[in-house]
Amino acid sequence: MSTSEHGLVFENRKSYLNSVYPLVKLAWVFVVAIGLFIYRSPISGAVMFLTILLVAMIAGKIPFQQILGSGKIIFGLGLLLMFFHFFVDPGNVVFKLGPLHITDNGLLQGPIFFFRLSVVVLASFILIWTTDTRDLMVSLTKAGVPYRGAFAVFLAMRFLPLIQKEVDAVKAAHSIRGKPTNSKFGHRFKLWRRYIFTILINGLRKAETTATSLECRAFGCFPTRTYVKDVHYKPLDLILLLVTILISGGLIVAERVL
Amino acid sequence: MKKGEKKGWNFNYTTRDIVIIAVIAAITGVVNTGVGNLWYLLNTSLGPLGGALLQGAFMWAYILAMWLIRKPGAALIVGIIEAATEILLGNAAGIGTLGWGLFQGLGVEAVMAISGYSKFGLLTAVMAGAASSQFGTVWTSIFYGWDPSTAKDVWLAIPINLVSGAVLSGLLGYWLSKAIAKTGLIRSAG
Repeated sequence: MSTSEHGLVFENRKSYLNSVYPLVKLAWVFVVAIGLFIYRSPISGAVMFLTILLVAMIAGKIPFQQILGSGKIIFGLGLLLMFFHFFVDPGNVVFKLGPLHITDNGLLQGPIFFFRLSVVVLASFILIWTTDTRDLMVSLTKAGVPYRGAFAVFLAMRFLPLIQKEVDAVKAAHSIRGKPTNSKFGHRFKLWRRYIFTILINGLRKAETTATSLECRAFGCFPTRTYVKDVHYKPLDLILLLVTILISGGLIVAERVL
Repeated sequence: MKKGEKKGWNFNYTTRDIVIIAVIAAITGVVNTGVGNLWYLLNTSLGPLGGALLQGAFMWAYILAMWLIRKPGAALIVGIIEAATEILLGNAAGIGTLGWGLFQGLGVEAVMAISGYSKFGLLTAVMAGAASSQFGTVWTSIFYGWDPSTAKDVWLAIPINLVSGAVLSGLLGYWLSKAIAKTGLIRSAG
């Protein structure tokens, strides 16, 4: 599975969100997520959902079709979660459907969890669509994360497309040897077990080679390192974070006062 | 870990350790994103009991990484990087996935810390898998709103979680580390 299958790839659309410092965007996703965990009303979740949607379309220049395409599974799972809460959460029964009871508390909690899931995921997608992973790693290093640690994350991202190619190659090799991939579930499970082991072995072999290459280039020798492409923080980037904190804080206060 | 290196609480990660962590995290990220879609379906439609059946299937790589690298924090780091990879691949929990990486990684680390990072037998692997599975469920309860004070399924799911984690992660991770050791690729995995 590649990132492009989900439309989850970074694209520089020359938007405001593209220009925001990566660490600020990461903090923004966390602020959005924390707010969703504090809200007690589905109205707050709905307001934040619309806000994030508008931020994506206006500040990020992300087409609505792309958001819908990438988010359909998440919105579907959110709906399932909402229905589960309708029937499971304790409270006064307001509707009976055979042996199943819908409670008043379930009707309140269901949408809260739908919006929690949908908004957190949508905000994460916006981060991915508008941020180059390399820039995010550089900004993390500048924030004090040891560059060897940040490099591990970057390396994992770098290995992703290689692993996908590896999966395809192993699949093809097995097919040539008469092991079809469109067989029964049990057989497919066995096949995947073989694929994973082969990919692990090939991956670890690559890891050994990569580690040797890195050490030959004195990786880890110095306390700091330089980057070909640097990223710079601008005070204007904080607008996104501050506006979101104001909206989220306002919603939390409004829930308790009104 | 090479022969002669300090055992137990040794935080001295080599470049090779870092690259192995990155590779395992990337592979697991791809696998877990696929398994995750099935888990989300079970968890959101059947609740904690449904999720518990597959909960243990996500941490085999944490055990594998710990058994290959044998240093404190290896499982936690793999957990966090693997979760970050899943986010990029379109995991249906978005940045919430990091919570599972953190909690599940801490589960393995807790068991290994009790063993002083010096016991790498089958029993330790099974216990680490079980603990990791249950630690992950704590985040699931927070994220999906399963309230243990009212939802009895959360309590009923505990034994299923433990067995699922012990078998699907503990045993599998241990078996993989042994199988990799037989290939002679990683010297410390024996």
